[in-house]
Amino acid sequence: MSQPSLTLPTPGQQAGRNRRLLELLGAAAIAATFVYLVLTQPADIAGGLGSVSALVALGGFLLGAALLIAGVLPTLPTSTVVLMPVALVLNIVLGQLMGTSGLPFYFDAIGTVLVAVLAGPAAGAATGALSSIVWSFINPTVLPFAAGAALIGFLAGTAARYGLFRRFYLAPVAGFVTGILAGVVSAPVAAFVFGGTSGAGTGAIVSAFRAMGDTLLAAITKQALISDPMDKAIVFAIAATLVYALPRRTTFQFPFVRRFNVLAGKDPAKRDS
Amino acid sequence: MAAPRLNPLTLLAAAAAVLVITTAASSWAFSLTVAAGAVALSAANGCARRVLLAGTAILAPFWLSLLVMHGLFYPEGRTVLVHWGPARVTAEGLGFALDMGLRTSAFVLVLMLFSFSIRVPDLVAALATLRLPPQFGYVLASTLMLAPIIAARLGKVRQAQEARGLVVGKGIRSRLGAVRLQMIPLVLGLVHDAGTRAQALDARGFGRPGPRTTYRKVNDSHAQRGFRVVALLLAAVAVVLRIAASYLTGGPA
Repeated sequence: MSQPSLTLPTPGQQAGRNRRLLELLGAAAIAATFVYLVLTQPADIAGGLGSVSALVALGGFLLGAALLIAGVLPTLPTSTVVLMPVALVLNIVLGQLMGTSGLPFYFDAIGTVLVAVLAGPAAGAATGALSSIVWSFINPTVLPFAAGAALIGFLAGTAARYGLFRRFYLAPVAGFVTGILAGVVSAPVAAFVFGGTSGAGTGAIVSAFRAMGDTLLAAITKQALISDPMDKAIVFAIAATLVYALPRRTTFQFPFVRRFNVLAGKDPAKRDS
Repeated sequence: MAAPRLNPLTLLAAAAAVLVITTAASSWAFSLTVAAGAVALSAANGCARRVLLAGTAILAPFWLSLLVMHGLFYPEGRTVLVHWGPARVTAEGLGFALDMGLRTSAFVLVLMLFSFSIRVPDLVAALATLRLPPQFGYVLASTLMLAPIIAARLGKVRQAQEARGLVVGKGIRSRLGAVRLQMIPLVLGLVHDAGTRAQALDARGFGRPGPRTTYRKVNDSHAQRGFRVVALLLAAVAVVLRIAASYLTGGPA
């Protein structure tokens, strides 16, 4: 005579494996889309609008981002899920604060990098992708860049896992490398979906490369290689400053920080014993 | 005000289908029609002013950038209209800028119309019926509602720091210092609040799998369900036709 349990069931191993599969499929979709776009582009721009490329860029990158979100989100602890909206708003609000400071950068990934450092690469990737999707309710043009934003979160989390945030001078280096990769991945979206970049400064740089006879994708990729690494290096440095400004008892609440010893200094709980 | 009675998923399916078909059609006339249609619908819906204001803020710099970029420098262009040092105004470049600009205008206006004509709580309740992870609805709703609260909090932090003598000078050091003095207290408070919220949500079984119920009932009907299927099918047909057409004319284009 055993009563059915009234508590909620714990997720089984099968569910965990399915989630992992979704993550891998998402990453594969993003990688395959990028390879397709780069391989087919030379014939493309000369032929006109590149409608198929635009459809592939939109479909492939958004599908990849959606699969990543579906795979990662249910596995995250509540403390991380609750941090995500905060990170998303930080991406937007701090971006605007930087805008009013008159500095020539965009800084729209600070929240994403913050979550990635505290909660790991998977959480970072999901935050980046969600950031683009939620932000698109206010500014639809960021929607197709979801895959690039997910890559930034993933790379930031990976850098944190391997200890690059333990030394303050290593964080901008990791940001610089992340910026190179993220810029290269985002360039096909700018080229094929929008036919250019939206900022006046970035537009001028693209125009300069176009004047030298580059294809549109090459010009936008070179522009991204000028702007993005610098931007991400600063973003990573800001995120590191913020993480170190948080009290230990807050940062060490995150299992990722404890397990991989992400930050310099000891766990306050262990130090006392 | 007809739109609020529709299911948000119906509006989402309609917006997605229109965008896919516009991209697949890739003709400036079609994009222009879609953009004009979005403006007309928003006028019928009573949100034309907001859609146009938000749309202009996003699209004006984009159009400017496109016209400078492709209007002046388009190495693939053959029909030169004006020659001006290294810059050449070509008909092909202007055509490309027009095509891309109109397509992006349609993209932005349709999505702005969508986000101004739904109510976020309705969308979250509708998403819950789709078997998406419930965390997705939480993050979406929470972000859109937190944004004004956090902006207000940033204002309070600034006032507090100004009361302690924060003066933003002209130099870059002073500006950076001011940003740091505002950002760190803001983030500290927000992360602390998030920790408290996590405990409250965990106590209510937020992180557990299983179906969710909602207090909010979202209108839905067989007609709307049918419409959603038809809209997505039309989008798929448009994509297939486009790909078939591009291979018939020799290689992907």
